[in-house]
Amino acid sequence: MELSSDAGKWLDAHYDPVAGLYTFSPCMDLADLNGDGENRLLVGDLGSGSLGMKLKVYRGTALSSESALLDLPTGLVSFFMDLHEPRVPAVAVASGPCVYIYKNLRPYFKFTLPGLDVNSLEQDVWQQAREGQIDPLSLKEMLESIRNKADVPLSVRSLSFLSLEPSEMDEFVQLHKQQPVKRQTVITCIQTLKKSTSDDDGVSCLVIGTESCHVYVLDPEAFIILSKMVLPSAPTMMNVTGQYDVEFRVTVACRNGSIYVLRRESEKPKYCIELSSHPVGLVRVGKNLVVGGNDESLHGFTQKGKKLWKISLPAPITTMATMDLPTRGFQAVLVGLANCEVHLYRDKNLLSTIRTPDAVTSICFGRYGREDGTLIMATKGGGLLVKILKRTAAFEDKDSTPGPPLTQSVRLNTHKKTKLYVDQMMRERESGTVMHRAFQMDLSRLRLATAKAYLKALESSLTPMSSSLSEPLKMNAVVQGLGPSFNCSFHHTGLSLVTKEEHWLL
Amino acid sequence: MEVTIDPLFLAWSYFRRRKLQQCADICTKILQDNPYDQDCSLPISEAAWSLKTRALTEMVYIDEVEVDQEGIAEMMLDESSIAQVTPWNKPGWRTQPVTQSGRPITGFVRPSTQSGRPGTMEQAIKTPRTASTARPVTSASGRFIRLGTASMLTNPDGPFINLSRLNLAKYSQKPNLSRTLFEYIFHHENDVKNALDLAAQATEHAQFKDWWWKVQLGKCYYRLGLYREAEKQFRSALNHQEIVDTYLYLAKVYQRLDQPITALNLFKQGLDHFPGEVTLLTGIARIHEEMNNISSATEYYRDVLKQDNTHVEAIACIGSNHFYTDQPEIALRFYRRLLQMGVYNCQLYNNLGLCCFYAQQYDMTLSSFERALALSTSDEEQADVWYNIGHVAVGIADLTLAYQCFKLALAFNNDHAEAYNNLAVLELRKGRVEQSKAFLQTAASLASHMYEPHFNLSILSEKIGDLQSSYTAAQKAEDAFPEHVDTQQLLKQLRVHFAAI
Repeated sequence: MELSSDAGKWLDAHYDPVAGLYTFSPCMDLADLNGDGENRLLVGDLGSGSLGMKLKVYRGTALSSESALLDLPTGLVSFFMDLHEPRVPAVAVASGPCVYIYKNLRPYFKFTLPGLDVNSLEQDVWQQAREGQIDPLSLKEMLESIRNKADVPLSVRSLSFLSLEPSEMDEFVQLHKQQPVKRQTVITCIQTLKKSTSDDDGVSCLVIGTESCHVYVLDPEAFIILSKMVLPSAPTMMNVTGQYDVEFRVTVACRNGSIYVLRRESEKPKYCIELSSHPVGLVRVGKNLVVGGNDESLHGFTQKGKKLWKISLPAPITTMATMDLPTRGFQAVLVGLANCEVHLYRDKNLLSTIRTPDAVTSICFGRYGREDGTLIMATKGGGLLVKILKRTAAFEDKDSTPGPPLTQSVRLNTHKKTKLYVDQMMRERESGTVMHRAFQMDLSRLRLATAKAYLKALESSLTPMSSSLSEPLKMNAVVQGLGPSFNCSFHHTGLSLVTKEEHWLL
Repeated sequence: MEVTIDPLFLAWSYFRRRKLQQCADICTKILQDNPYDQDCSLPISEAAWSLKTRALTEMVYIDEVEVDQEGIAEMMLDESSIAQVTPWNKPGWRTQPVTQSGRPITGFVRPSTQSGRPGTMEQAIKTPRTASTARPVTSASGRFIRLGTASMLTNPDGPFINLSRLNLAKYSQKPNLSRTLFEYIFHHENDVKNALDLAAQATEHAQFKDWWWKVQLGKCYYRLGLYREAEKQFRSALNHQEIVDTYLYLAKVYQRLDQPITALNLFKQGLDHFPGEVTLLTGIARIHEEMNNISSATEYYRDVLKQDNTHVEAIACIGSNHFYTDQPEIALRFYRRLLQMGVYNCQLYNNLGLCCFYAQQYDMTLSSFERALALSTSDEEQADVWYNIGHVAVGIADLTLAYQCFKLALAFNNDHAEAYNNLAVLELRKGRVEQSKAFLQTAASLASHMYEPHFNLSILSEKIGDLQSSYTAAQKAEDAFPEHVDTQQLLKQLRVHFAAI
């Protein structure tokens, strides 16, 4: 049913199963990079995980440019950083502790997060090491004691030193002892926030969530930190609305399974939503939040954290994105599922299901090329899938759970009572006593026979397990082979569950 | 006055009365009196010679259509994979014994169909030693020697016909001799190569127009494993003459080539020419059964019974199907019919006992089992009967008796995985977790097609709080039986546990 209706709603524009695109929704964006009214697709490609990280730009169905990235991208956004004409957006790629800003697809600026406080004890220890007062082994002991006691965690350098073999330590110390000890955090998510106007091409600030449980708002021109907020846990996903100068909300899903709402003028979170499972997707639709849970469920919340609804999904969520068609005033949530489907939900109602040839890991909906409603998906196998929403497509909003469940009316596959059955029942009713007596007599005879046989089996030790409770052992012999030589294996199992195998060649 | 019967006529009479040894003896005598000379063949000696070959063939004759057993080498080293046999499942406790690959035993054992293809090489090489019937290593070497070939028996006077000195070309010219000679070579001597030679020359002599020779050629090719050639010959023979046997042989070729659907179509084509032919219907039913489509197999077995209401295989299969679809009272009726027909063995009484118990005819139950025990001829049979008595004991809540019965089942058959499984449940009830676990693991390793040990292990682990092992075990149970609702629920519950913070 869904399939036929979807064929009427979406046009298959492009499918390249071997595009070699490995990415997630936060690393995908659409922007008019040249100012010619044609939107390009920007992708931060994760490559193979250690090699081949790239910033790719697609135009139409073809890759138009790519440039290498130094580190794994964790997020990619396009934003306007100034008011110059022509209006060309910049691209910000977050990776490691830095945000790389590209303008006209050329590196323009690199912003590095401020360093964190370093444990003073650790600093002292490295100072001593630099002066040659302690050898690497005692350095290791001291660092370990610091790691176990101190409140401020160790720097990356100390941690990697501690993981080294003793033979490699000396070299490591020689190499690194001259540099000062620094502690860096990394960026986990990045979003944009309009500065003062809500226009589409208004100047935006960057909002960055870090592993050190901070959220920073950056000035787009000078790249100074405008505001800094603290969270109870490391953020994983973020959603931002409003304008920096007026009022804004930053909704952050954190690693402790809670969602926090930050507002202007408050350094601490204003609201907290505690979830029953870890969030895997966070999307804002209108004023409501839609959160995908790890337990194959989708939750709806108001922006103050009041729960509205919950539905369960047929498969685990792989990714989520919002579908926003301002021309039609249509907003919904796209949910990529592990069973190779993409579901479209408005509130808790399933509007349509798109079947994909592979599980989708990344979804992006928006204007691509000159087409307003384009759905771009990257699949798990590295494929790129582009679909266009038909202009005639209309989504019916019907409640998916009307009345009692369907299974209630399914008849169970049971047999009718046969005449034979009834006859036998009659017999049982009429001669119940006789039958019972016969059965009881047979039963006592059988018990005796069984006991005799059992005793015989015990006496001749035929059973494959020992009967004494003090030596609980079980043996199982298997002969394998085609001959002429056979492999005979005896499996002995004891109560302690230690299995010992013996192989005999016969 | 004494009337002497013509010895050749007497021999013919003996042959017709299937007193084959006497027939052969008389023929030998005639041949001694009139030495069969290849140059000046007298009609009488020729007739005696021919009759003797037929008598000797009949002595060791086995139906080529019925007997077919794939050897391990064919099974495992074959590129073509069989339609994957999904295990036969029934929720809850194991009720009736199943074969190694998980099909219920109907009490009617046929060669080759009693088990599907083993899943792994290890299982395959285990099979010949532990199954109740030994499986030969390859069909080319083992089977025909075992199943009825006289060439292994030593003959005091040397062989009747010395194949190496036979002028096959000459015999192939004589249609009245060549056929008996062929059958002698093929069945009695089991010398497929010479038989093939003879058949090839004979069919050439018949200008490739004799269907009989083509069928024989096909048979030879089949035995040699040249299935495509065999298919060609059978097809060509069918063009000349529609014969039921040819259909059966051809279907056998397709089954060996792992094309059950083609075989089915062929059977149906055969049924157009021979409506209601029992062997064709049985063939269809067997294929359905092998593909685990029991309900349609039952339909065809019903058709068989309409034609031949004493067909043992059909009655047994329909009976077992009724038993497994929770209509033991009807199954009971079928098994009683078998009993009336004179089938008198351990399996039948075992099935009767089970049916009686589940149809609540308690007075007959235990006596049937007792008789089954008395009639059992092998340890495996005894193990199965004890196992079923164990079930009855569980049914009447006599757990001590059940425990003893399952242990006895294991004493008679150390690889009785179902008994291990049930014993584990009893041990768990007694609170001996470790023992229960060990039994379940053994059961799982013995019978990979069973989902019960995995499921039970999963429940056990979940109860003692080992969710990870519980989850892995439940997944294995799901692999073995994807539709099992309890497993699904358990998995769902575990997933909720894992997803929770």
